[in-house]
Amino acid sequence: MNSNFSLDDLMVIEASRYIEDENIVLVGTGLPMIASLLAQKLYAPKMCYVVETGNIAPEVIPTPSSVCDPRVMYKAIKHGSLLDSLGGILQRGLADIAFLGGAQIDQYANVNSTVIGDYNNPKVRLPGSGGANDLASHAKKILIITRHEKRRFPKNCDYITSPGYLNGPNGRKNAGIPSEYPEIIVITNLCVMEIDKNTGKLVITKLMPNISIDEVLTNTEFQPLIKSPVKNVSHPTQNEINVLHKEVDPFGVYLKTH
Amino acid sequence: MSNKIIDKRMSAKEAVEKFVSDGDTIGIGGQSIGRVSTFLAHEIIRQNKTNLTLVGCNLSLSMDLLVGAKLVKRTECGSGSFERFGTAFQWRNAIQNNLIEVQDYSHLAMASRFLAGSLGIPFMPSKSMLGTDLLKSQNCNDKKHFEIIDNPWKKNDPVVLLPALQPDVSIIHAQMADKSGNIIIEGFTTHEPEMIKASKKVIVSCEKLIDSEFIKSNPEKTTIPYIFVDAVIEQPWGGYPTSVYNYYEHDSDHIIEYQQKAKAGGKEYSDYLNKYIYDCKSFEEYIEKASGPTKQKYLKDSMQKLL
Repeated sequence: MNSNFSLDDLMVIEASRYIEDENIVLVGTGLPMIASLLAQKLYAPKMCYVVETGNIAPEVIPTPSSVCDPRVMYKAIKHGSLLDSLGGILQRGLADIAFLGGAQIDQYANVNSTVIGDYNNPKVRLPGSGGANDLASHAKKILIITRHEKRRFPKNCDYITSPGYLNGPNGRKNAGIPSEYPEIIVITNLCVMEIDKNTGKLVITKLMPNISIDEVLTNTEFQPLIKSPVKNVSHPTQNEINVLHKEVDPFGVYLKTH
Repeated sequence: MSNKIIDKRMSAKEAVEKFVSDGDTIGIGGQSIGRVSTFLAHEIIRQNKTNLTLVGCNLSLSMDLLVGAKLVKRTECGSGSFERFGTAFQWRNAIQNNLIEVQDYSHLAMASRFLAGSLGIPFMPSKSMLGTDLLKSQNCNDKKHFEIIDNPWKKNDPVVLLPALQPDVSIIHAQMADKSGNIIIEGFTTHEPEMIKASKKVIVSCEKLIDSEFIKSNPEKTTIPYIFVDAVIEQPWGGYPTSVYNYYEHDSDHIIEYQQKAKAGGKEYSDYLNKYIYDCKSFEEYIEKASGPTKQKYLKDSMQKLL
């Protein structure tokens, strides 16, 4: 076993494993971007990275701070508009994968990035949807990456910014959301959860090395179902670790360096 | 041929006096830490235009400055974020203290509203936001902010209609423009093409004023034709401290300084506004105070390495 990795590293590495070659992937910045770039370097060289500001298929230079950073514009095939990316590609139905973060994720994989507390009387106002609602509404598969803390996994979000399965297995279809029954995979530093299409709820499918179910449950406010037998997240290969630390986030902008 | 061209050059002072009024709805260009219209936002603050409604997608620094200067009554946008540099803190504080009204949309929803405005039609259908709390809060004033209908061509298929948005005036900072207002934006264009075409008035500042002959020899490069534009101001560094593609990188140091002051609020924040806006005779004075020649060279070189 390689000991020179953290569970944060493995969270990003595991997330990258869900992207397939030639996928069209809509991503913002932060950990979702790091994971997508890792995938592009390791398993999905022909992945098409689409940035909401309008950049299509750039060769990203490490490490961008923003979707407006020139580092996500380098050698793109097109510098277009937000309507090109979120309208003409995403809403048009061409995105295979959308990759999100989020402050709260609930039992139906709904995501809140708008407000903690009441919308009209907020405890903490967060940045808002941005393109996240659009990503979650239209992509065929949704990946969510976030560090696992109890407050981040409430039973119900204070505010639903981006749709998971809303309130049950047919929640999305009933609401008229174009991507009716997408796979949704939540990757954290403790486990992987996936939507169970029969209930529309998150199920624990994999555990990170040396993490117990109890540890996940203690750090989750809702009661996730558990898939039996629960699998283990594969240990990172030396190559995965090297590429992550040396090529994708060499300055430790998003992940602590070792 | 040059005599056939309308000359829309004027100073920022003149442009804001002429085209921005108290109570206006203002379209804000740029996004996050890229090509934000800092120069024109500073001028609006200097002229103390009040009671403004700000609209756009991810409105970071312009929105935060205008809110922090207490000139804003309402925002309609997709987000208030500097991404890695944090939330738009003055905007956040204003919302948490109920000082401004907010109507949230997704980014595609805002771009769709501008698209409707730019096409001269009353609304645009969308399949975003359905089922979520973004469509639960028609609570800002008595206007309807969306309507959900059934697709007339398909049963049981809800569609949301979003009202067209035609800002009274938009402010943007571009790489190039000629004196009549033909604009060339390089790099991403985010929501700007639709927003500019939807706006009743448009003020554009640019890094470089170009000859109209260049536009005529390279018409495929024109992002926005002059017919949509009302005022043109050449202002190098007009997007500072955010980046302008092909010209300069964002200045992390100044963005971090701004974010610290904006988060702290109170006297620290008003000191920032005084130092960098109210006490500056010109935008150049702000640029000199905030960056200086060494930093400027660094930001230019840094951009060149990324092209």
